[in-house]
This record gives sequence, C-alpha cells and structure tokens, in this order.
Amino acid sequence: MANIAAKRIKREFKEVMKSEEVAGGAIKLELLDNSWTELQGEIAGPPDTPYEGGTFLLEIKVPETYPFNPPKIRFMTKIWHPNVSSVTGAICLDILKDQWAAALTLRTVLLSIQALLSAAEPNDPQDAVVAKQYKENPTLFALTARHWTHAYAGGPAAIRDFDAKVQRLLDMGVDEHQARVALSTYDWELERATEQLFNREE
Amino acid sequence: MSAESDMEYSDNDGDDYDYYGEHDDCDMETVDRSKSDPEYFIYSCLKVEEVEKLLNESIELLSNSLQVTPSLAKVMLHAYEWNAQEIINKYKENANEVLVYSRVKPRVASLSQASTSRAVCAVCANTPPIHKYSALACGHYFCNDCWAMHFEVQITQGVSNTIQCMAQDCEVRAPEDFVISHVPKSTLRERYQQFMFKDHVKSHPQLRFCPGPNCQWIFRAWVREGARRVECRGCELITCFSCGAPHHAPTDCSTIRRWLTKCADDSETANYISAHTKDCPKCQICIEKNGGCNHMQCGACRFDFCWVCLGDWKAHGSEYYECSRYKEDPNLANDSQHAQAREALKKYLHYYERWENHARSLKLEEQTLASLKSRINQKVMAGEGTWIDWQYLWDAARLLKRCRYTLQYTYPFAYYMEVGPRKELFEYQQAQLEAEIENLSWKVERAETTHRGDLENQMDIAEKRRTTLLKDFLELNTNVASSSSKV
Repeated sequence: MANIAAKRIKREFKEVMKSEEVAGGAIKLELLDNSWTELQGEIAGPPDTPYEGGTFLLEIKVPETYPFNPPKIRFMTKIWHPNVSSVTGAICLDILKDQWAAALTLRTVLLSIQALLSAAEPNDPQDAVVAKQYKENPTLFALTARHWTHAYAGGPAAIRDFDAKVQRLLDMGVDEHQARVALSTYDWELERATEQLFNREE
Repeated sequence: MSAESDMEYSDNDGDDYDYYGEHDDCDMETVDRSKSDPEYFIYSCLKVEEVEKLLNESIELLSNSLQVTPSLAKVMLHAYEWNAQEIINKYKENANEVLVYSRVKPRVASLSQASTSRAVCAVCANTPPIHKYSALACGHYFCNDCWAMHFEVQITQGVSNTIQCMAQDCEVRAPEDFVISHVPKSTLRERYQQFMFKDHVKSHPQLRFCPGPNCQWIFRAWVREGARRVECRGCELITCFSCGAPHHAPTDCSTIRRWLTKCADDSETANYISAHTKDCPKCQICIEKNGGCNHMQCGACRFDFCWVCLGDWKAHGSEYYECSRYKEDPNLANDSQHAQAREALKKYLHYYERWENHARSLKLEEQTLASLKSRINQKVMAGEGTWIDWQYLWDAARLLKRCRYTLQYTYPFAYYMEVGPRKELFEYQQAQLEAEIENLSWKVERAETTHRGDLENQMDIAEKRRTTLLKDFLELNTNVASSSSKV
C-alpha cells in the first residue's frame, strides 16, 4: 500500500510544481523527508480577506493508506479563523474527513483550504470562541484576524490599538501569545482578559 | 377488590381457600392480553437466520418486480428504509429519480474527464491494460487494484452499505456484487457481509437488535413510538422497542432519557444522601436492608416502619399511602433563588431516592426469586407436591418483580409532571400501587407461612393497581395524549 502512497505523492508533487497557482505564488509545496510522508504546504492569504498579505504554513502528513484515506493537515502558522483551532491549528473541512475521495489531490486540498479562508463556515466551527465572534461581531472578528495575520503570518496591517493592549499585558509579565489569545477571546477588553489570565494562574 | 386484604394473613383459614382459588388469574393472563394488559404490544423475537430470510424476501420482491440485481435492490431498500412497495410505486412513476435518490446513479452525467479515461488510473497513477479498469454507474473508471484497496480501507473502518465511488464529489454507492467481486480476501468479504447485515437491521424500521451484551436476537415490531415493552428470548432483557433503553412505562422515551442523564449527572449528591443503611426510628439501631420489601421490622425492638419515610408502618396500612407523594411547598414563589434551588434539589432527591430504592429492591427480589426456585425444587424432590402445586409462589415472585419495575419507572414520570389534578391523581394511584406492592413483597418473603389464597388475592390486587395506573397514564402516541383525563 505504501508504494501507492509514495507514487501518488511524487506525481502530485510534480503536478503542484507545474501548476499556475505555484507560478502565481498562491500555493507552495515542500518535501520534508525522503519517504514522501511529510510535506509542508504554504498558502497565501486570499485578497480582500483579513488574511491578505499573510503566508500560512501547513503541516501535511501522508498516511500509509493514502490516497484511500485523507492526508492529515493542520496549520503551523497561528490563525484566527472559525474553522481552524486557534490552539492546535486543526482544520474542520469536510474533504479532510468524511467527504474525502481517493481522486482528490494535495493541490485540490490546498486550494480548498485557501477557499476556506475566503468563506468561513461558522455553523460548523472548529473553534467555538472564534465562531461566536465571527457571528456576533464581524467587524471585531475581521480586525482580530488581521492582527493575527500581522503577528504570525507576516501580514502588512498592524492594528495599533491591539498592539498597545498586548504590550500592556507583556509589561505585566504575560507570555505574548497567551496575551493575544486572552485579548482576542474577550473582544479586546483589557480588564476581562487580565482577570482571566491571572485567575487561571492561581 | 377489597382494600382490607392486608397482612393479617393468620386470620385466613381453609374456607377462603376455594374462593380465592378461582382468582388464580396468573395462569390465565395469557388469554386475550390485549384487553387486560395496557402494555400489550405485538412483536416477535427473531434469530439472525430468520431476519436474513425476512430481508431476502424484500430483496427478492424488489429485484423480481423491477428486474434489477439483488445487489441494486439492497442499495435501494437501504435508502428507502426497506419499504419495497414504495420503491415499486415510485419506480413506475419515475425510475430515474428512484435510482438517483438511492445513489445508484449520479444526479448529473459524469463530466470529469480524468476519471472516465482508461489510460492512467487517477488514484494510483499506474497505467494498467484497459480491461483492468472498472466503474460504477457514474462512469468513473479506476483500476481494479485501487478499487480493492479502497474497499479494504472502508471495510476495515466498518463502512459497508455506504461505500462511495472514489471520484471527487461523486456520491454513487458501490453495490454488494461490485464490492465482492473486487475484494480478493475471503475474511474481508465475510466482514463486509456481517457489517451489511448489521447496517440493514439498523436501517430497517421494524427491526432492532436486542441491546443485551453479545446478544444475537433481533426484535421485530410494527410500531416504533412510545414505551414498548419487548423481552428477549435469548438474554431475557426487557427493553423498549422504540428507543432501546430499559423498558420504562409509564414514562415516555424522551422523558426517561432526560431522567437517566440527570441521574448520571447528579448521582454523586444523591448517592451521598441515599445510603444503604438507616437507623431504626425507634431504637436507633443501624439496619441494613436485605430484602425488597419496604415494610421493615426492626430486629432489635420489633418496631414496624416504612423504609422510605421511616414512619410508623401502621399509618401506611390505611388507604392513603403517603410516602410516595412529594409535597411542594406552597410558599415557594416568595422564596429567594437560593431557597428555590434548594427546593429543586429536594424535589429531585425525593424522586431519585424512591427511584434508587426500588431499583435496589428489585435486585434483592431477584435473589428472592432465585432462592425460591431452589426451595421449590427441594420441596418437589422431597415429594411435597409437584412443581404445579408450588407454581403459584414462583408466579407471585415474578408478578412482584413486574409490579415493582413499573413502580420504579413511575418516579421519573411523576418528577416531570406538572402540578395539577392529573398529577394528584397519578400520585394517588402510585401510592396505592406502592402500598399493595409492599404488602405483596412482605408476603412473598414469607411465602411458606402465608396462605396461598391470601397470597393470590394480594397478587391480584397489586396487578390490578398496576394495570389501572398504566391504563390511565401510559400514553402511546397512537391515541391522542390525555386520553385518560376522563377518569
């Protein structure tokens, strides 16, 4: 079985390399080992989204039963999105689960993940906190997502107010990522975020 | 039936015997149960082979009348919940729609070029000769090795009826003959067929596996709503056909689910409060309950009391058996939230304690039943009559079990009932049932010293109380709810 997996991945790797998306810089694929089981994907944040300008790295693990079972993919780059866990990077996408078909390829999967960044599915959330904000406060969600893109994915747009609040917590000795998570979770209300951070440590 | 037939069995003498003998309706209860038993429910308990035969009849019927293969008939029956007649009718109107709905055919003709070609297999990227490709009705060709691998992975994951084509966004399902012809390993084919069978039973509205551990029997019935009592011929487990939970009349399926979840959540508190031992209310000696009867007699001071409320048993002998009734505090509305929360917990614990208590009594009475059987056997071996002579003891213990079981399941029902005259009526009947069950339990535990006629009389009373309650409150959705408010 393993040789089918390796053969397929080799072919798909070539397919991605030749594709117009790679030429256009929208997706990238890199091999991490010689056994064709671990790869690193890269997708560009789609234009007109809070992820624009950011570059997101994906961990791709190819199971032995590939392509009869889907590849295991998660975000390595931290991202604020309803269908991606802000903690583990796990992705909630049907084609990576029950809607997987053996005829799908890494290229189509990467493009689907990129499409997910343009059109979130808040009713099928991976991260309940993010999904709630997406539905109840879309403006704040977009700003938060943009801030995360700037902080973790090299996005261009800094949001000064948010940076200032993160800095306040850093001055109190809080870890930067923890500070960002707490503030994002509590709609950037410094007081509530602080309270949550310090209560948890007790 | 007179309510005065209490525990004073010593008063009965031989004269009553013949009179009571006529009321031996335990043997007759099989006669026209549909009228006398409110829980009466037509069902059968089938073996795997019988169910296979049943399913095959539907498959053959469909396959013959539509001129399709049995494998395709199975795919359609699975999609239409085994309603062969519906499929036949719809097929005559619009065959294509039936095939699309069953996912035998694709909704739109296949467009994807990559998969329809037979030059390179889109899955493995190999280039086998053209005759080593196959496709489902959708025309997505893949090489046979890939199909085999695909089926192996799916079957290993427990998928059977719903294995789909390997093409992207294609929902066409692989019929049995297609799968079987592509799977070379016989053990895998066997597993596939076992999963298919399980899946067929689960998708069939008239069938349900007995939920007993490792039990192979399958129930068949025609109604799947309301509390429906089914008893397994194999493991003797009594469950509800509609929901598969332990049988729960008079409580309905959704209520018992809520109650059991609640009990699971709150059990820590409740366990703490309902301990296994209690102190005698008179002499304070610690008493462990070792029988099912709630009429307790203190071994030290001979005080008769009720295990549930610790009150004097004499007060319970009267018509109104008070201790099953939970009294809501009328001043509740004025109280603070805290007090209301406490009141809610108190209310829950009241019902939970009684629920738990009867469950425990049932377990203990299970032991009584076992020891009774061996005692009867001993008597028969010693030549003191035949099994038929002692059968009534056995019947009494079984009837007691049935009555207490229903009584146990009246408590979740009462807990979720709204306060009002209907609840009052229910709790009145529940109290009556409880009183008679305790009388019966007391007599069964002392079966050999209790007069047969007296015992049979008590059996009759208890069973009548039980059926009366069920007749009035077991709402089987076939009639309009509250059909019993006329009482």
